[in-house]
Amino acid sequence: MKPLTTVQCDCLIAFVFFLALLALGVIFPSLWLMDTLTALFASGLLAMSLHLLVGYTGLVSFGHAAYFAAGGYVFGMVLQANGFVEAAGAWSVPLAILAAFAATGLFALIVGLICARLSEVYFAFLTLAFQMLFVSLIQGLVEFTGGDQGLVGGIPRPVFLGIDLTESWDRYAFCAFLFTAGVLAIRLVTQSSFGYTLRMVRDNERRTAFLGVNTYRVKVVSFTIAGSVASLGGVILAIFTSAAYPEWASWSNSGEAIFMIMLGGLNSFLGPLAGALAMRAINDVTLLYTTHTDLAKGVVILFVVLILKRGILDYAIDLVRNRRAQADNERAKALHRRDGERVDTREDADAAA
Amino acid sequence: MTHKNHTLTRRNFVAAAGAVGFMSLACPSILRAQGATIKVGMPTILSGRVAILGETASVGARMIIDAVNAEGGIDGRQIELVIRDTKGKPDEAARITRELINNDKCELILDAEASGGSFAVHEVMRDTGLYCIHSISEASALTADPANHVHWIFRSGRQGIHDAIAGGLYASGLAKNGVKRWAVCSPDYSYGRDTTAEFREFLSVFAPDVQFVGETWPKAFQPDYTENITNLLNIAPEGLYTCLWGGDLVAFFDQASLYGLFDQFQTVAVNMGDAPVLEAIKNLPAGIHSGNRYHKDVPDTQANEIWNTAFRKSGKLPTNWGWQAYTGAHFVVEALKATKGDTNRDKLADATRGRKIVSPHGVDGTVTMREGDNTLIGYAVGYGKTLSTDPHLTDFQPTPWDVILQHEAEWKERKKYL
Repeated sequence: MKPLTTVQCDCLIAFVFFLALLALGVIFPSLWLMDTLTALFASGLLAMSLHLLVGYTGLVSFGHAAYFAAGGYVFGMVLQANGFVEAAGAWSVPLAILAAFAATGLFALIVGLICARLSEVYFAFLTLAFQMLFVSLIQGLVEFTGGDQGLVGGIPRPVFLGIDLTESWDRYAFCAFLFTAGVLAIRLVTQSSFGYTLRMVRDNERRTAFLGVNTYRVKVVSFTIAGSVASLGGVILAIFTSAAYPEWASWSNSGEAIFMIMLGGLNSFLGPLAGALAMRAINDVTLLYTTHTDLAKGVVILFVVLILKRGILDYAIDLVRNRRAQADNERAKALHRRDGERVDTREDADAAA
Repeated sequence: MTHKNHTLTRRNFVAAAGAVGFMSLACPSILRAQGATIKVGMPTILSGRVAILGETASVGARMIIDAVNAEGGIDGRQIELVIRDTKGKPDEAARITRELINNDKCELILDAEASGGSFAVHEVMRDTGLYCIHSISEASALTADPANHVHWIFRSGRQGIHDAIAGGLYASGLAKNGVKRWAVCSPDYSYGRDTTAEFREFLSVFAPDVQFVGETWPKAFQPDYTENITNLLNIAPEGLYTCLWGGDLVAFFDQASLYGLFDQFQTVAVNMGDAPVLEAIKNLPAGIHSGNRYHKDVPDTQANEIWNTAFRKSGKLPTNWGWQAYTGAHFVVEALKATKGDTNRDKLADATRGRKIVSPHGVDGTVTMREGDNTLIGYAVGYGKTLSTDPHLTDFQPTPWDVILQHEAEWKERKKYL
């Protein structure tokens, strides 16, 4: 039997992961669990797509929430458009998702073409400027977006392929599918040769350019992919809330995604997801005692930055790795000692002979 | 001394698990028979600059629910109010509302969110299909726009369009006395722009010869209003309209008073007439024209006086949000009484639609949940003038409801809501 390629292996893991999410919903059919996980799918995709920029390409974007919100808005606006649902029928939702994905990709491409010419703090500020521009557009185009009250009036979600998104289980399963597809897309990108080029750009852009790589183009493509995948997170949240709000595009949402990455770990693929989970746990546990959730988040971030000096998952991975190395070391030492004893015994025997 | 063996055997475990399984299946009927509580979820704002909204709304809702519980509840079942902070964020409001339903097992929702959040709660309630009353949002479109109409969702708060008609009519009286050139200074978000547009529309209806000569739009939670104040000084209008509210209104008045702004023209501030605002402004100028919001003398009845005293026992000053949440909770209780504690949304909706309840805040001692658009009418609406000292509001001129209803119907036709 031929061994699986990396791509096949990742696809298989994604499929098993998707089945595990479905099984979780079947074994614990609690609405709370399904709703919590659905919200996590959305914030998880936002953080993981941003990680493609921050962790793999070395680009810190402060405006990433704009693409997340754009996905939700385009999805909702297409479905609310006069005559669209009647014309597209059962294909309305898949077509709206494709439209959200493509339109956000185009938006990210245009912004990327402008921002990728700059680096470090200038890049970060320009992405923030585009994000503010996008929020102003949402708030200004009241007739289309509902202004700061959001895209209200409910988003129609007709049944397609037997999936009724107004039903909790169907909604959960479909959002799990979108989430898995988004994570798989990021995984395939990071494991491809393009993904390794991204790491090279992150580590030393000038040296990568000397090798003949068009680093500007690489950054633009990375920016576009990250924006497109973030839009799926927005689609999930729009499906979940049956609306879209300008707060989704706010700089604080982008900042929260960066916090998630820092909290979970910058150096591991699933770090941002762990961060999203931790952030949600901190929020919910704090709310049991006080409304000062931001204070609790700040304290945890300080702990992670000053004490752990890396994200939770990075810390855990390093811990396991160190223990393994220590165990290997001790095993090697023991072997060495035993070999030494054997040599001594043999030498003694030789001397006696 | 002998010890019993407490080791959990497999047989014991299976028996215990079976018992637990049976109990969980049988629980709803057992709990109902034993008088389980009816949980009412209340998403509201309890943190940040407008935390007073949620704090006073909670007091209002608790007043009536505590009274009902003290009388033995509904058909032997107590009502539990589960209050959660949404931080004033719409997406958080949607999430918290879902949690109230799924996690806290609330059977109905008394929404106490500001406008943005209330639209988020609205969509969740449309999706989940549970009975809901919005108690705080004044955005007219929430219940007036047919796109938002859901037959099991109601509004127990005042509606922006009612205040706009009252304000337009009142300001037209000022126009007759020579106040023809108007400027606006309202918050730069949907509530501010919509409410101001409605006021302008009705002032023009009642006094067609007025002119709007300038406008300035402060942002939410803006710390410094110098730019807006300078702008108004340059425009030099004869009348100013503002729908700033809460802490923003207090900050604007405190800063503008330093420039003597309110000595230079007539000011109509629809949201001035709440006790915490009136008492928070350091040097409250006399003669500001204000909407009533909540005032102990509007309506000037003994029932309102008693309600005001009862509310103040909580340690909080009564607000517009307080009476609106109180009214919402009152409708919830009356509907539950009518259905004998059944929380089926259609039964509750049938029991709420068109219902008239006795209320200390009604013009004639009652308020009505109007059929057709599921919104509240009959509450006290009008304008008065501020005084620097207690009771802070005087010369109150109520707006007759027949006038409000007539102009509201015409407005709905213009907006194609009918």
